Amino acid sequence: MQVLLNTGSTIDEGRLAKGGNKYSEDYKKECAVCWMCAADYATLGSPEKVAVTSRDGKHTVAVYPKVTEVMRSGQVFIPRSIWANVVVEPDTFSTGSPRYKGSPVIIEPTDEEVLSAEEVVLKLYMGGE
Amino acid sequence: MVYKNIICPVCGAACDDVQVDLDTINRTIDVQNACKMGNAKFQEVVSSHRIVRPTIRENGKVKDVSWDEALEMAADILVKSRRPLFFLGSETSCEAQEVGLHIAEYLGGVADSNATICHGPTVMGIQESGMVGATAGQTKNRADMIVYWGVNALESMPRHMSRYGVFPRGYWTKRGRFDRTLITVDPRRTPTATASDLHLQINPNTDYELLSALFTILNGKEPHTSIEDITGIPISVMKQMVEMMKESNYVGIFVGLGVSSSYGKHRNIEMALNFVKEMNNYTKCNIGALRGHCNVAGFNQLASYLYGYPFGVDFMKGYPRYNPGETTTVDLLREKDVDAAFVMSADLVNHIPADSAKYLTEIPMICLDIAPCPSTTAADVVLPGVIDAMECDGTFYRLDNVPVHFEPFTDSPFPETKSNEETLKMLFEKVKAKKEA
Repeated sequence: MQVLLNTGSTIDEGRLAKGGNKYSEDYKKECAVCWMCAADYATLGSPEKVAVTSRDGKHTVAVYPKVTEVMRSGQVFIPRSIWANVVVEPDTFSTGSPRYKGSPVIIEPTDEEVLSAEEVVLKLYMGGE
Repeated sequence: MVYKNIICPVCGAACDDVQVDLDTINRTIDVQNACKMGNAKFQEVVSSHRIVRPTIRENGKVKDVSWDEALEMAADILVKSRRPLFFLGSETSCEAQEVGLHIAEYLGGVADSNATICHGPTVMGIQESGMVGATAGQTKNRADMIVYWGVNALESMPRHMSRYGVFPRGYWTKRGRFDRTLITVDPRRTPTATASDLHLQINPNTDYELLSALFTILNGKEPHTSIEDITGIPISVMKQMVEMMKESNYVGIFVGLGVSSSYGKHRNIEMALNFVKEMNNYTKCNIGALRGHCNVAGFNQLASYLYGYPFGVDFMKGYPRYNPGETTTVDLLREKDVDAAFVMSADLVNHIPADSAKYLTEIPMICLDIAPCPSTTAADVVLPGVIDAMECDGTFYRLDNVPVHFEPFTDSPFPETKSNEETLKMLFEKVKAKKEA
């Protein structure tokens, strides 16, 4: 399903990031999460985990779904974090700032493991070093 | 011992009323008045995960080294680089950023800061059309209408509403919240939107269209009916919003990344600024950005003062150049246009898109930080950071570009350095010695 990705702060994302706890389980539970409406979640088949893929298909990250009334159909939200930024479009439209808001992404059910922040760096960025 | 009026070194609010009770014997700290984010950062003074020793990566293994060895290796990386990137983060002082800018100039590198991935487009919008701004105190004392556009203030700058925006009792707004009307424009039903009198749940990436329609209504014209499908907002609600603003005595608009980071970028901001100028024909109206870090505005001020440009300053040709999209961090890394990086007080790997982050982990990187994070994991040299406003003095620029001098309540935990400024000065000396040898 193609949707628009919105990323941004949540208060607990801020609390954990500013407190130096980016490698904690709490940070992963707060940020490796894709918010969506109940209708979109049902369309996906109510999966336990979802894979979010960038529009060009180059990057994919597995996260937990979260059903919430604050989202509209066709829109998802991931708290700003390494998981969200794996799939944020890097094009800056000649401004320097990537498209943290409104990046088109594809979401689908997955059985892939949800990585910790450290694992994302080591496995996705550093080639498993 | 209790310390009062401490500046909080977290978000752009740079709150100046934090009270700290530091017990150095039991290594505990009690913090009053700070928000959840601020309190978490103050706990870093006594935290067990603090980075306390410099490290280097050698043959793929990370090992502890002395400060001198770490600085030597950092200087080596920078001197051997043909075009180093200096990402001078925003949770440290202007004084440290200034030294970083001078090293970048000396080596012919590129200097950038968090603004580039934050309100950079806002700054570009201001360059296009100018800004009707005000200090936070003006908003507190005068504004009877607050508009949060593309920002969830309750979670990104938790005390803005209580200190400056909505709840405080000002000179002309003595009843606080009861004297103010609050409008939020956001695609999500955020806690800020829930607390508002009017929420415009706009479709993503249609800020420019909505601002244009409001501008049209303000000029007495009727926008085309297709605007309702595009933005998801009925024209009647747009008219209601414009009327509410015109009937107010003083309107304070605060924009967030929802405006500057979505489709349209700096053109969204340009349109918002032009709308504000036009609104001043009817009532007092100003606009400001909710800046994400305590000194992100400081880098813009400093770089503009020293070199004429607010971010993305490229010294490669021997004089400062500024061309967003070419000399800015995400673009430089995506296009593989730098060959080493110095990252200070910012977790760059965490906050940039995968293509750029992946390249950053491939080139030699020096990281100065206080706690383990994706950037320190990928770094070749890690230098422990000193926490500004807690362990050393210096200057921040607040969200409204007001400079704030801060004093520490404790000392740097490192005998080798008193501040990040001093660490950078030591690095600069080593760089100059190697370059001129």
